[in-house]
Amino acid sequence: MSSTEVAHPGAQAPPDHGSDGSAGRRWRRFLQLLSRYGTLTGLLIMVVVFSIAAPDSFPTTTNVVNILNQSALTALIAGGLTMALVVGEFDLSIGYAASLAGVLVTGLIVRQGLPIWLAVLVVLGIGALIGAVNGALVTKARVNAVIATLGVGTILIGLGFGYTSGAPITAGVPDGFLKLSLGEFLGLPNPIWIMAAVLALLWVVLNRTDLGQRIQAVGGNIEAARLAGIPVDRVKIIAFVITGVCAALTGVLLASLLGSGTASAADSYLLDAFAAVFLGSATLRDGEFHILGTLIGVIIINTGFNGLSIFGAETFYQFLFKGGILVLAVALSTVARRYSRA
Amino acid sequence: MSTPLVRVRALSKSFAGARALTGVDLDLHAGEVHGLVGANGAGKSTLIRCLAGLVTPDSGVIEVDGRPVTLTTPKDAGDLGLAFIHQELNVVPHFDATANMLLGRRKPSRFGIVDWGRARRPAIEAGRRLGVTFPLDRRVDELSVAQRWMVSIGRALVANARVIAMDEPTASLSATESERLFEVVRDLAASGVAVLYVSHRLDEVLDLCDTVSVFRDGHLTRRVTRGELGKPGLIREIIGRDLTPVEPEVARAGTANRETPLLEVRCLTRGLVQDASFELRRGEVLGLGGLVGAGRTELARMICGVDRPLAGSMLLGGEKVTFASVTAAVRHGIGLVPEERRSQGLILHRSVAFNINIADQRPLRRVPWLPLLHVGRARARAVELSERLGIKTTNVDEPVSSLSGGNQQKVLIARWLTRERKVLVLDELSRGVDIGARAEIHAIIRELARAGTGVIAISSDVEELVALCDRVVVMAEGRVTGELAGAELTEEGIVALSYAQAELDREVSA
Repeated sequence: MSSTEVAHPGAQAPPDHGSDGSAGRRWRRFLQLLSRYGTLTGLLIMVVVFSIAAPDSFPTTTNVVNILNQSALTALIAGGLTMALVVGEFDLSIGYAASLAGVLVTGLIVRQGLPIWLAVLVVLGIGALIGAVNGALVTKARVNAVIATLGVGTILIGLGFGYTSGAPITAGVPDGFLKLSLGEFLGLPNPIWIMAAVLALLWVVLNRTDLGQRIQAVGGNIEAARLAGIPVDRVKIIAFVITGVCAALTGVLLASLLGSGTASAADSYLLDAFAAVFLGSATLRDGEFHILGTLIGVIIINTGFNGLSIFGAETFYQFLFKGGILVLAVALSTVARRYSRA
Repeated sequence: MSTPLVRVRALSKSFAGARALTGVDLDLHAGEVHGLVGANGAGKSTLIRCLAGLVTPDSGVIEVDGRPVTLTTPKDAGDLGLAFIHQELNVVPHFDATANMLLGRRKPSRFGIVDWGRARRPAIEAGRRLGVTFPLDRRVDELSVAQRWMVSIGRALVANARVIAMDEPTASLSATESERLFEVVRDLAASGVAVLYVSHRLDEVLDLCDTVSVFRDGHLTRRVTRGELGKPGLIREIIGRDLTPVEPEVARAGTANRETPLLEVRCLTRGLVQDASFELRRGEVLGLGGLVGAGRTELARMICGVDRPLAGSMLLGGEKVTFASVTAAVRHGIGLVPEERRSQGLILHRSVAFNINIADQRPLRRVPWLPLLHVGRARARAVELSERLGIKTTNVDEPVSSLSGGNQQKVLIARWLTRERKVLVLDELSRGVDIGARAEIHAIIRELARAGTGVIAISSDVEELVALCDRVVVMAEGRVTGELAGAELTEEGIVALSYAQAELDREVSA
């Protein structure tokens, strides 16, 4: 605009790009790149290092399938957790819900003699119910989600122990149920297919349906969503239900894999799921939870585990890795969010 | 002339390639009230943010007391005596006024225990200097917005600020509260503090400021000294052209026919709002005037299903309706564009398209019975509405946070155009919207009304109500005090009714 009429000369001085301002920008840009692609770079480095260190056992088709198979259960439970986090809440009951689902599904088959498909269906329904209770507590009774789901989770632990009387249900688990997780289809283990199908479904729900857009709106700004006419309580409850169903499915598959219904078998999935989802939120996006990120997060964690076990690392290293990666994931996610908003 | 307190030379700043500031020169002298005006996105906020250490300029020099300084953090700015008071005040709601004024300051202590008696002294001194009338030990969340401004200014005084930048201080203040603030600003200037005053309200800028710097497209295009330009001249400088006045509607006020009102509000009561009644007709722009705190927002929230009325009723198209939720109101065709655009309206980090489409997605389905969305159709609808409303964005996939206030407001209006609507309620429709965009939004509203929508427009800007509305209902202290239309609809009339209730009470008690 040439109509500038300025009191002092020199206003049109050319911008000096060599100043420290651009260095700051470069640093910020670096941080943003780090937060978006850092996790993927980490995965790449792990793959390269493990491949060089263990060329015979790590970079093989069998091992890759193995990693994916091990990732499947975590991916299912983490995919579900992603929904709760996208809607802006927390779910700490998922591990316990999965454990209870494993106990119940074996119990229903062995003790009640239900057909496998029906037992699975009933247990998924119970997963939905658990999610609905969580959602209702958070929205209707206005209990903080951390407390509500921790409380519900603890109740679920109690129910699991009560149902099994403390002893795992092992006798009489039919082969058909074991095949659920041990069977293969087109050369790949079933859990990988189930993971692919469920995550694809979750992705579609989140990104290509009314409901998914509403879930994202509620998580993005709950007050704005409410004033736009979105029934926020209902949307939150549905998100919790999806989380609960995914947790139950994980528990069912784990029971099938273990061949038994053991109370607390799936408890440890809670932290893995959180680590994966937070790692995922710092992958490709700026601290936003998303399904593809969650999948990548799960694969990163399981690649790490896989490498540790190939090198025969002692169990305590696994805990160091797991705890470390959880903290790192949340930190990365936070940094990513900060630098995208700046 | 003495050395300026702050001297800015050739300051430039870009965000993601877009020039926000280009070669800005500005001198700020002690004891001066210096106004910054310009459309949203013209660069005034960026300049202030540079001075506050919130944004690092790409190039240029900032000098304080003649010495070049680098301001990379708000602390740097604070140490040099530069204080920044933002529109959304940074106060800790559950701290009292003194604690807020002393926030972040080292407090004198005895054996590690804070000596509050001694610590409070500067805050009490600041309160005295500002002439505050409220108790300083009151929690800030119990204070009015105007009182919170005093607390924020007090904090600047406690920090020995020599420059205080104020961003839209009167945006949510009533006329009397504004007057009080102006007195404070003048006193500050008289005591040697330099005040940087950012406002869209040109009358007060002209009245208050010794110097006014006009920003347009990142350039400081004009420096005006007191008395040099009047309001029309200033507007011309801001928009860079003559303002085309909105043509008055030919049929306005004449539409008062006998058909059933579109919306009839009868004796709505809740909290502050007592027995509020009015009618809205099809195709009418009804203004809701009054002072801030008169209960207009509260009334709007009841109409839109946000809060449930404790008493009273509503008739929509002659039929009684009660809304259990916003969802129910929206289903009946009532939409709200809320007062706080950023916190109540937008999902900031989401795209323009997302924000437009979120209120109604059913038409975007691939097949009506399956909730699968057609991405292309969603985008096309957003593009079409953006073009229709003149939303200035390069791409509807851009985050809505990157738009200016006026364009964000248009996004919120566009959101309701995706649905069949009967009533559109806009709360403080022009807050933080620059003059050019304001005229465009008015045109959009008139167009909607012409197509049959009933519009309720809340504004604290009396001039705007007169320019925009067919009829204005005025509230004071929670009650409807009157209604103005046709020749009676004047700025003076609205102001008079805004104070009517208070007068009435005084007569009653006398």
